[in-house]
Amino acid sequence: MARAVIDPVTRIEGHLRVECEVTDGVVKDAWVSGTLYRGMETVMLDRQPEDAFYVTQRICGVCPISHSHASSMSTEAALGIEIPNNARLIRNLLEAAQFLHSHILWFYTLAALDFVSPINALSANIADTYALAQAAGTRVADFGAIAKRLTAFAENGQLSFLGGHYWDHPGYVLPPELDLIATAHYLEALEMQAVANEVVAVIGGKFPHPMTSVPGGTAFVPTEQKLDDILFRFTRLKDFIDTALIPDTLAIAPFILETTTYGGGCGNFLSWGVFDSADRDPYNRFLPRGFVTGGLTAEEVGPDDVTEYVEHSWYDSASGLNPAKGETSVNFDEYNVDNKYSYGKAARCKEKPAEVGPLARMVAAYVYEAGGKTLVEDTSVRTPKALIDLTLEALGVAGKPEVLVSLLGRIAARNLEAAYVVDLALMWVNELVGAIKGGDSSYFKARESFDGQGAGLWEAPRGSVGHWIDIKNNKIQGYQVVAPTTWDIAPRDAAGVAGPMEQALIGAPVFDVERPLEMLRIAHSFDP
Amino acid sequence: MGSHAHYREAHPLVFVITHYINLICMIMLAFSGFYIHFPFFSAGFMGVARGMHFVAMYVILITLVFRIIAAFFVKTATQLGSREVDTDIKNWLPQAENKHQLFETVKYYLFFRKEGVISGKYGSLQKIAYLATIPLTFIQAYTGFAIYAPFMNAGIFASGIDMVGGPMNMRIIHYFGMWVFILFTMVHAYLANIYNFAPSKIIFLWKETLPEGKH
Amino acid sequence: MAHEGHNALHDLLTVRGVTRRDFLKYCGSIAAALGMSETMAPQIAAALEGAPKLMPTLWLNGGSCTGCTESIAQVDSPDVATIVLDYLSTNYFETIMAAAGEQAEKQIEETIAEGGYIVIYEGSVMTGQDGNTLLVAGKKGTEILSEAARGAAAVIAVGSCAVDGGWVYGYPNPAEATGVQAWLNHEGITTPVVNLPTCPVNPEWIVAMVVQLLLVADRDVAAFVEKTEWVTRSYTDRKYGAVDLLMPKGIFGQSIHDNCPRRGHFENGEFVTEFGSKEEAMGYCLYKVGCKGPQTFTNCPVVRWNRRTSWCVEAGSPCIGCGGLNWVDNNSPFFHRLADMQMGDALGNVQPGSVGAVVGGVAAAALVAHGLGMKAAGRVGDGPPMEEMKKYDRKRLAKKGGDK
Repeated sequence: MARAVIDPVTRIEGHLRVECEVTDGVVKDAWVSGTLYRGMETVMLDRQPEDAFYVTQRICGVCPISHSHASSMSTEAALGIEIPNNARLIRNLLEAAQFLHSHILWFYTLAALDFVSPINALSANIADTYALAQAAGTRVADFGAIAKRLTAFAENGQLSFLGGHYWDHPGYVLPPELDLIATAHYLEALEMQAVANEVVAVIGGKFPHPMTSVPGGTAFVPTEQKLDDILFRFTRLKDFIDTALIPDTLAIAPFILETTTYGGGCGNFLSWGVFDSADRDPYNRFLPRGFVTGGLTAEEVGPDDVTEYVEHSWYDSASGLNPAKGETSVNFDEYNVDNKYSYGKAARCKEKPAEVGPLARMVAAYVYEAGGKTLVEDTSVRTPKALIDLTLEALGVAGKPEVLVSLLGRIAARNLEAAYVVDLALMWVNELVGAIKGGDSSYFKARESFDGQGAGLWEAPRGSVGHWIDIKNNKIQGYQVVAPTTWDIAPRDAAGVAGPMEQALIGAPVFDVERPLEMLRIAHSFDP
Repeated sequence: MGSHAHYREAHPLVFVITHYINLICMIMLAFSGFYIHFPFFSAGFMGVARGMHFVAMYVILITLVFRIIAAFFVKTATQLGSREVDTDIKNWLPQAENKHQLFETVKYYLFFRKEGVISGKYGSLQKIAYLATIPLTFIQAYTGFAIYAPFMNAGIFASGIDMVGGPMNMRIIHYFGMWVFILFTMVHAYLANIYNFAPSKIIFLWKETLPEGKH
Repeated sequence: MAHEGHNALHDLLTVRGVTRRDFLKYCGSIAAALGMSETMAPQIAAALEGAPKLMPTLWLNGGSCTGCTESIAQVDSPDVATIVLDYLSTNYFETIMAAAGEQAEKQIEETIAEGGYIVIYEGSVMTGQDGNTLLVAGKKGTEILSEAARGAAAVIAVGSCAVDGGWVYGYPNPAEATGVQAWLNHEGITTPVVNLPTCPVNPEWIVAMVVQLLLVADRDVAAFVEKTEWVTRSYTDRKYGAVDLLMPKGIFGQSIHDNCPRRGHFENGEFVTEFGSKEEAMGYCLYKVGCKGPQTFTNCPVVRWNRRTSWCVEAGSPCIGCGGLNWVDNNSPFFHRLADMQMGDALGNVQPGSVGAVVGGVAAAALVAHGLGMKAAGRVGDGPPMEEMKKYDRKRLAKKGGDK
């Protein structure tokens, strides 16, 4: 029996500690701890609802757009505003750009280094690399130049951000040629995630922390030139996703197939739904709302189904509250896995731990599609079920969607979602152009009410985000956020049930407790 | 009090003119200031408003300096309804006897006292209020310059901005300064004319009101 | 020495597929960002090429949202920027580094032991709960900052959170956040701190400062501080008292309002009064919907964001003044011209305009009431009966004369 600890977990947003009890090379128990408290909910009190839109997105520098949308939606729900159709499309485009940014950045910059070794890439044969790229259907680069560049970097003796890592861990199993391809795409991905953010900048002024989706609609009004800028960039992104992200995923997967056997987690999947359709029904969103707890059925779910427990969190406010009545009273004790060990609250959906994120959304979408629902009318869009079935077939597990509930499934789901979202984005640009041509010039609806309570439930790239607001006399009386990471890194609840990431860790193999690469991979797969 | 005569000696022509200048500039400053604070109509007026605001303030500052200097040379009436004159500054600055009159005057205006209080040309409260407008004008000039781009980086203004916690707070102080002037003007116009309009006649029209019974 | 360095970097550039032309162009944009003439570009290039070894850098995340890290990932022409960043050997950089846990922490220890490094700090300094509001590797975030800053050649505080606590410092500051300079003052650490506010930081500014350190000063921090033009902004931290912040003047010396492309509409009195409106499509001024450009000092309108793609005002949103100090408290509500005043728990946050109107209204009502009182007391018209002349009045009159 040994304790394996990763603190800090790097290549994530924020601060996280993962601790596991490992017996005979297998994780028997796990504790995940959020180690930062900032107090956004308290800072928002007594300010105006629009201020919440601007400030609460600063909870997360990687998914600010989703927080800003959830915040504006909560205000709109509280004050009874329905935003104009053009604003809906613009928000969808903005959100889509962030999804693409986040997924590309996550796969190449944050997660890939758990599988891909740029150091190993040094010994790649350049000719074989081209052959492999062609065989895998992934885009080629000037592999020779990149290899030279890497060599120069390595010979320089200062490994910079690649330094100090256990590149000799036996978990790095890819052939050097594939490492080189992935490294080449790592560099290109840095460019592409920035292209996605240029869309955000066009619509929202800047990324991180764009400014446009104010409660009531959008501040942004598109001109021909701006629409053109947006369309061009989404086209580039689609090209990259189709010729790098997806083929790379499929090329790497066969080497790490054992990751389909662990890391599945709690098996309960929550999606609030994201990308509004014209009827604004959360169950008709392009990635619909639903709670899947096993089998091919999705339950209805809403803001009242959420409770947050603090028995194992450093708060002394009441436990088991719905966020609409939520309290946040911080009180640090000591780090003790048997008692309190995290600043994260234990968020539960219908009293169950729930995994959120691309896997949860794709599972929910798959379940709806399998039940005969049409997600998109436009047949040029590749839907989640089509993408998943194709992938299962490519990996030789056709007809077995349950293998998705695993570490590899969580990784694949994210990249497949990117393919779906980029198709949607191109569709929306055209729809917006059509609407403007048709003379619709409405982007914003001013509010008439100054009191109300509401919840904005939406999805960030990394999972379900909910903002709850209580407005009296134009001032915020109560504000609560249940962020995506709150769900996934949740500690134990009142009944002692472990959170989703904890459950995903339990049962995972650990080859070397001093170098717990497998734990790192699982933590990263949630994009916490 | 109200039955006093109002002679030109109380307000020599030069001060009637400075009073006019102050009045016009104040109106311009308040109007353009509120427009700059929040443009309540859109008619290409912002440039004019800003120009008006700056010019009016410079004029007020110059007039204020002139008025202070003039107070040492021009002679004004020592008493209401009197043609007896003395250097204006002595009638303007609070004198020893005023401290006995201060609380009596307050009591009078709060109806705790029946008879009016005898004082010089100005009552005790009046002297204090008029004096206070001088530092207040300088505060407005300072805060105004501090939020005006060409000056805001100059050391004396930059340090003031830091002291109050940033340009936003300086702006708020400037804004409240305006309200203090508005309150002053309200009370001033009210108290000056509460008995009758003879004080307005002399200060605006330079028209004397003779004591009752004399024509 | 310099010659050898030149060759080394020249080779590095070549293998990375960067042409000399690209490189000089980039140096030109750095010069512009620093407010220097673009003719300085060759000298900047020379400085970059002359340096012998990557400068070790620790990028530390405090109470951050990782937004500033995200922001630096958006910097222009990544290949060239990568060189400048590779030029810094980022030995510790939580969000992108390969190593994690113990292996990552070792990178900090080794870098500190070797010395001659700089610290780039992102996020608020978290002092709440006795410093336990941020724990990394079981250590308090504040301890990590102090240890790293003590031996550093310089600290660059990136983003408003690092500068003065940012939004986390917003009232009532439940996590007791503060800024890097305030914390180092408190700890008695005198390492120079360069402050780059806005939320997040604009990556061009970080690059500009790093190059400035290499160009003007040849890594000599004393020379860097001496030769760069600074503005000092001061504020009072509610917990740690008065703090002076050093900011580069080329970036933070002018207001957004003065450089705003929509300024003409301001002067013409052409304003956006509702978001997403026809006026917005025409690019009118956002002053009436609360733009804080007039009291915010950054060169956002010039440098812009995300590879000069756009910036807040161009997207139709008023500036919310994230480059100011204590920006959330000082600028909210963001849609109003003036900030709210915090009047404590009883009154809450109040707009100065409301205060003015209420005081004005009360005064007017009081005057009317007083006037009615004066009339009721029979004082209007002839005035009240006057008092008997007192001794001091007689004294004065004896001296001055008057109508007896």
